[in-house]
Amino acid sequence: MPDRATIQRGMTLSLERKIQIGFGIAVAIIVAVGAAALRSTTATVESALWMAHTLEARRELEATFADLITAETAVRGFVITGDTTYLGPYHTARSTLGGLLAGLRTLTADNPAQQRRLDSLRTLVATRLARFQWTIQTRRTGGAAAAARAVIGGRGKELMQLIRASIDEMEGEEGRLLAQRSATLQAKARLARLAAWSGAVVAVALAGIAGVLVSSELAGRRRAEQVVHETQARFRQMLASSTAVIYANTVAGGTFSPSWVSENITQITGYEVDEPLRPTWWIDHLHPDDRARVLAEIPVLLGNDRLTTEYRFQYKDGSYHWVHDESRLLRDAAGRPVEVVGSWVDITDRRQAEEALRASEERLRLLVGSVRDYAIYLLDATGIVVSWNPGAQQIKGYRAEEIVGQHFSRFYTPEDVAAGKPQAALQAAAAQGRFEEENWRIRKDGSRFWADVVISAVRDDRGTLVGFAKVTRDLTERQRAEEALRRHTAQLEAANAELDSFAYSVSHDLRAPLRAIDGFSQALLEDYADRVDDVGKGYLGRVRSASQRMATLIDDLLNLSRVTRREMQIGPLDLSALASGIAEDLKKRDPARGVEFAIAPGLRAQADPGLMRVVLQNLLENAWKFTGKRSDARIEVGSVPRDGRSAYFVRDNGAGFDMTYVGKLFGAFQRLHGAQEFDGTGIGLATVQRVIHRHGGRVWAEGVVGDGATFYFTL
Amino acid sequence: MDDKVILLVEDNADDEALTLRALTKNNIKNEVIVAHDGVEALDYLFGTGAFAGRSRHAVPQLVLLDLKLPRIDGLEVLRRLRGDPRTRLLPVVILTSSKEERDLVNGYSLGANSYVRKPVDFGEFTEAIRQLGLYWLILNEPPPTKAT
Repeated sequence: MPDRATIQRGMTLSLERKIQIGFGIAVAIIVAVGAAALRSTTATVESALWMAHTLEARRELEATFADLITAETAVRGFVITGDTTYLGPYHTARSTLGGLLAGLRTLTADNPAQQRRLDSLRTLVATRLARFQWTIQTRRTGGAAAAARAVIGGRGKELMQLIRASIDEMEGEEGRLLAQRSATLQAKARLARLAAWSGAVVAVALAGIAGVLVSSELAGRRRAEQVVHETQARFRQMLASSTAVIYANTVAGGTFSPSWVSENITQITGYEVDEPLRPTWWIDHLHPDDRARVLAEIPVLLGNDRLTTEYRFQYKDGSYHWVHDESRLLRDAAGRPVEVVGSWVDITDRRQAEEALRASEERLRLLVGSVRDYAIYLLDATGIVVSWNPGAQQIKGYRAEEIVGQHFSRFYTPEDVAAGKPQAALQAAAAQGRFEEENWRIRKDGSRFWADVVISAVRDDRGTLVGFAKVTRDLTERQRAEEALRRHTAQLEAANAELDSFAYSVSHDLRAPLRAIDGFSQALLEDYADRVDDVGKGYLGRVRSASQRMATLIDDLLNLSRVTRREMQIGPLDLSALASGIAEDLKKRDPARGVEFAIAPGLRAQADPGLMRVVLQNLLENAWKFTGKRSDARIEVGSVPRDGRSAYFVRDNGAGFDMTYVGKLFGAFQRLHGAQEFDGTGIGLATVQRVIHRHGGRVWAEGVVGDGATFYFTL
Repeated sequence: MDDKVILLVEDNADDEALTLRALTKNNIKNEVIVAHDGVEALDYLFGTGAFAGRSRHAVPQLVLLDLKLPRIDGLEVLRRLRGDPRTRLLPVVILTSSKEERDLVNGYSLGANSYVRKPVDFGEFTEAIRQLGLYWLILNEPPPTKAT
């Protein structure tokens, strides 16, 4: 309860102190009142004693006088009768008078005036008694008459009057004293009553005040207890809903004994509240891999009075959880450890998140670290290098320890630095989030390289610029490669141009001699017909046909080369229409032949129209040619689905071919039929294949000797 | 009609002989002037060089122009003909071995009136020449002589 004590001390004096002070005051007042009452009572008793004293003195005085009367009477009787028996009372009175007078002496000892009066009384009494004695003597000796004379002649009556007067005087004095003492007694009694009443009133008042104070104090205490109770309830609730388990251990001689643990431990770990209080519970459930380490940390707690550690701990269900444990050592006034209090929190989720983050960072680090073709590094907001990867070292030549902490402007050429380009790059990256350029950069050895540089601004969650990520690529090689490529392209273009002009020459110059051979052979035949015999004419005819054949070969070769060189212009194309047009041309060229064309309508493709015309021309001319020996020739053009695309085909029922040689079909100058049977150069299908390949398609054929052939192509 | 001159621009002697033979065989009797390269052809037409000072009575009825020629090639000759008011409307038939697309396109672009490829087969060649003569020398109405 130190807390409540602190609270009350803060408010006012402690209850105990108040009660002590209150009771002290009350006791003092009551003692004072009691003392006063006691004193009053004592005085009253004293006064009463004094009154009794006075009354006794008076009674003694009366008794004294009565005794004298008794004695006088006795003496008279004797005198008269002579009977000594009358003297009995006289002797009795005579003996008591001494005692009475002695008593009076004592009773009036405090009063000198009375003592003086008593002295004179004694004298009078003694005188009277002596007189009696004499009378008696006289009677005895003198008889009755003498005695009578003595009595009559004596001064007895006078003496008795004197005694009476003396006693009256003394009684008067005692009566005065009695009155006085009665008054005193009354006053004292009143005072005593007053004191008694006052004491009672004061005591009641004090009791009342004390009662009020105590009850108010008790009410306060009840309120405080209520507050404490509520606080404790809240505290308990808080603990119950808290994720932190609170615990306490008592410490004795370096041994820790669990003494308390918050109830939420059950909810969090599954253990009942009494389980953690078992001495070895905690150590038993530490993860074996963490136990030695955590136990080794305990001296730290004893040394620093506090310890923060993290370890894996086994829950009731057997699973291990990471916990964050913070403990404090409490010591007594002498500095001896008495208690360890602390709390721990399950941080498994946080640990896992940290682990994941670490793994992710590690992956990123490995990634960045393994990149050698790119310099990847970070700058702070002012352009100071803060990280460096192997790629950066490879490209720029600096090792990390040489360059981290340096300004990145040293990678720029002096002229770019003078032009303020490094700062401008950072400003652009900060403003637009990204800056990219290709420019010259400087390596550590001073050499220049052509770099592709990307600078990205790095901002934190709040959008504050924290630095820049920089990726630099050495494009020198690429530039060199591009240069080489440009050179090769130029060479290729030159070669193409050469080929072009070669083809041009061929078409011009190779044909001219053929024309001469043919033309002059013809001239010979015409102009010298009479001088050349039939065999000679036959030879000349062969010369002519050979030259014409060669011209055809040249034309086909030129076509083949043309379809390769020609730029493609892909567009939508109506293959049906194209095929129909070619079919019409063929029919016109040789109207005598009755060939049936079956061309599927609506064959469409994306292709180069000129090149597709070459393809269809070749295929249809072939079909036309190879059906030349059939009267029921039929040529079909259509399409079939093949591998999700359309495969177009040209089919005839002509001579067909042996599938054994299908591989030779599309090679240049390859022929499966003799020229005598069917003329041809063997270049047409090679040209077809080249066109189809240029379109990214495929061409193939199926055939049966004597039963026709089908040529398929896709685009 | 016979006074209509044909200018044959041809560097190949064989082709020249064959062309002349074809013309003869087709009974085309017009005078044929042969220029053996582009420069000679232009000199003849514009009266320059070797033909300087000569009267221009011999403005041809038809030019048969080969494309592949020494010094100035056929297309350049054509360009100059078409660039000069005196020869702007002169019928020019390109008679060549080439059937390269670019030659065809360039030829027509520069204002050739026809483009004929010389066949290797002399029979076909003769036939081509016959048709050319028939068309350009007989059927076709030439542009007014004093075109300018």
